[in-house]
Amino acid sequence: MDFSFTEEQELFRQAVREWCEKNLSLEKVREMDEKEEMPMDVIKGMADLGLLLMTVPEEHGGTGSDWVTACIAAEELAYADISIAVPVFFLVESSWGYVIDRYCSEEVREKYIKKAIRGEAFVGIATTEPGGGSDIASVKTTAKKEGDEWVINGEKIYISGTEEAKKMGGGYFIIARTDPKLGHRGMTAFFLPIDAPGVEITKRYDDMGRMGISTGGFVMNDVRLSDEYVLGEVNKGFYYTMEGFDLARLLIGATSVGATQRALEIGMDYTKQRILFGRPLAKFEGIQFEMADLWARNEALRSLVYRTAWMVNEKYSTGRFGPLEVSKFISAVKLLGPPLAFRTFEKAMIWLGAYGYTRECPLEMGLRGIMSYCVGAEGGLNIQRIIIARELLGREYVPYK
Amino acid sequence: MPFDISSLTTNDNHQSLKNSVVRALPTIIVPFKQIVDIKEIKVDPNTQTPITVGIPRKISDVDKNALEEAIKIKEKHGGKVIAITMGPSEAKTALRETLAMGVDEAYLLSDPIFENSDTLATARVLAKAIEKLGEYDLIICGEMTLDGLSAQVGPRLAELLDIPQITYVRKVTIEGNKIIAEKDLEEEYETVEAEMPVLLTVTREINEPRIPSLRDIMKASRKPINTWTASDLGISKENVGTEGSAVQILKVTVPKVERKGIIVKAETIEEAAEELVKTILKEGVLRG
Ligand SMILES: Cc1cc2nc3c(=O)[nH]c(=O)nc-3n(C[C@H](O)[C@H](O)[C@H](O)COP(=O)(O)OP(=O)(O)OC[C@H]3O[C@@H](n4cnc5c(N)ncnc54)[C@H](O)[C@@H]3O)c2cc1C
Repeated sequence: MDFSFTEEQELFRQAVREWCEKNLSLEKVREMDEKEEMPMDVIKGMADLGLLLMTVPEEHGGTGSDWVTACIAAEELAYADISIAVPVFFLVESSWGYVIDRYCSEEVREKYIKKAIRGEAFVGIATTEPGGGSDIASVKTTAKKEGDEWVINGEKIYISGTEEAKKMGGGYFIIARTDPKLGHRGMTAFFLPIDAPGVEITKRYDDMGRMGISTGGFVMNDVRLSDEYVLGEVNKGFYYTMEGFDLARLLIGATSVGATQRALEIGMDYTKQRILFGRPLAKFEGIQFEMADLWARNEALRSLVYRTAWMVNEKYSTGRFGPLEVSKFISAVKLLGPPLAFRTFEKAMIWLGAYGYTRECPLEMGLRGIMSYCVGAEGGLNIQRIIIARELLGREYVPYK
Repeated sequence: MPFDISSLTTNDNHQSLKNSVVRALPTIIVPFKQIVDIKEIKVDPNTQTPITVGIPRKISDVDKNALEEAIKIKEKHGGKVIAITMGPSEAKTALRETLAMGVDEAYLLSDPIFENSDTLATARVLAKAIEKLGEYDLIICGEMTLDGLSAQVGPRLAELLDIPQITYVRKVTIEGNKIIAEKDLEEEYETVEAEMPVLLTVTREINEPRIPSLRDIMKASRKPINTWTASDLGISKENVGTEGSAVQILKVTVPKVERKGIIVKAETIEEAAEELVKTILKEGVLRG
């Protein structure tokens, strides 16, 4: 068993870290948080570094990175941008962009994927609807074939990157009911260009965190798409959706590792310098034991994340692990990651006292940002528990059936 | 050395010139060093010695400026950049990084007998390697590495190779066979020129080193890294390592920095300021 990264991966980590030190300082993150906008130079910089949709194969314009390397990028981006706006932008595109590219037509690839790789478009995921996000099989959006075209009607809400897609161009992986009788086996995935006639962005949510990337909603009124915009096979959309969620959740794990690490470091730096009762605060066991616990948990998470990333590589390259086995581990990553990062921000804020509660201190951005992945973005925590329990106990124990 | 204009048409390393003022295809050699990341060094509080085991290693900062400048010159004038480093086999990672930045060929000079070489012995190894590489036009070094801060390897190397040197360069232009360089003399800048081949040592101000992209890193991992040992270079033990060094390092310690904890007490801000200035003067921090 060899736990080392390759030389290529080490150099890549170093390059991303160096780029982040220059271009994504905590001051810049604060600015992004206040302006509620991701600067184009950050997006362009990520494209130049080769980060955007890095998992897309080389022959399709990406770098064909494996999932361990993608996790390294997510970890480093979150170490720098603890508000996680930039990591969200990165991870949504690297996971859902990969799935879109895997199942899309040449037309979609040319028009959207390749542009997104250059930082000239945004591609994301839109499954959540007013009827709820967790229960994907109950999606109400419909797609009906009329002649050569699919006519799509429905509404999507709490969707990441709607403003970015509007500004830069791009679109979404969406899922729609194509055969209502068949339940989740009657759902088809499409690529929906954000500027397709009939698509209308309805709102931007006033989120509590990760302000640098928007969350919005849109309606689809008789949107007409050709077969070129169907992803993969008709009625297989549910499975592609699960594939995308898995990849996104893996990268969320890596994001959590990076953010946790940074929160710990901010806490350690401060408590070593803060003198109370005649000695550095860090000398008190009440503080240092908490640090030790959090560090240990983060190292456990880090091991799980990279081990799971390796399983994903194996799934795609050798088929050694089946999709359900991989999902079980990925759900463990998503279940443990965001709450650990949240907990670490909370603890670090407490170590910093009143200063930790101000906006002069970066920690609160971390707390607000990572909460999005606790409440449910890319799947709620209980959904992860349901997946794990299903794989442990068997399908007959799925609670909602 | 190659850069006699008349040799251009016959030398296949260099294409003939349409205009004799413009230099074609220079070969640039960058000797650099991989050092421990000094930011990461911790100090053993009992012995006051730096703990360097397990510390990540990186290309010395100013050496990166040297690499960047060489690559920029290549991008503008063509030619090729060769990076060489003397060090243990772990330094291959640093060479890989130089390939990712845009270096064309990478050489590791590695042999147990090179260990503990001082600046003189290091310069000898580098000079031998450069001679073995053959023709070149420019050698670019960093002004100094951030571990030893001696600023000697570049100048010593130029002496051994018997070529002109321009040190502390903050700006460089190439005109025909000439190098025009602006030297940083702290109080003033001096512009000098020299015929190539010439050795430059550059300062941090000269450029902003690029960060290689993932694609560059992937491409670099497919390029070879050549290793030359002492015997490849025809170097014997007397000239390198501890035996061949003029200077022996006996001990490395970290100076103790202790705070005096002086508290200035006064009624008003003005009085406090005055008291503070007096204290600073008394401590000899400032001379009045
Ligand atoms: C900032 C942000 C960005 C988002 N971006 C996107 C996006 O880009 N695209 C997209 O499609 N969606 C996005 N979402 C929506 C996200 O996918 C949903 O929030 C998530 O799927 C949960 O759905 P819901 O919010 O409707 O909660 P609900 O489905 O109503 O669930 C509410 C709570 O109940 C729990 N729960 C659900 N079912 C069960 C059960 N059977 N047993 C026990 N507990 C259960 C859930 O875990 C959750 O905690 C985003 C959300 C946020 C907060």
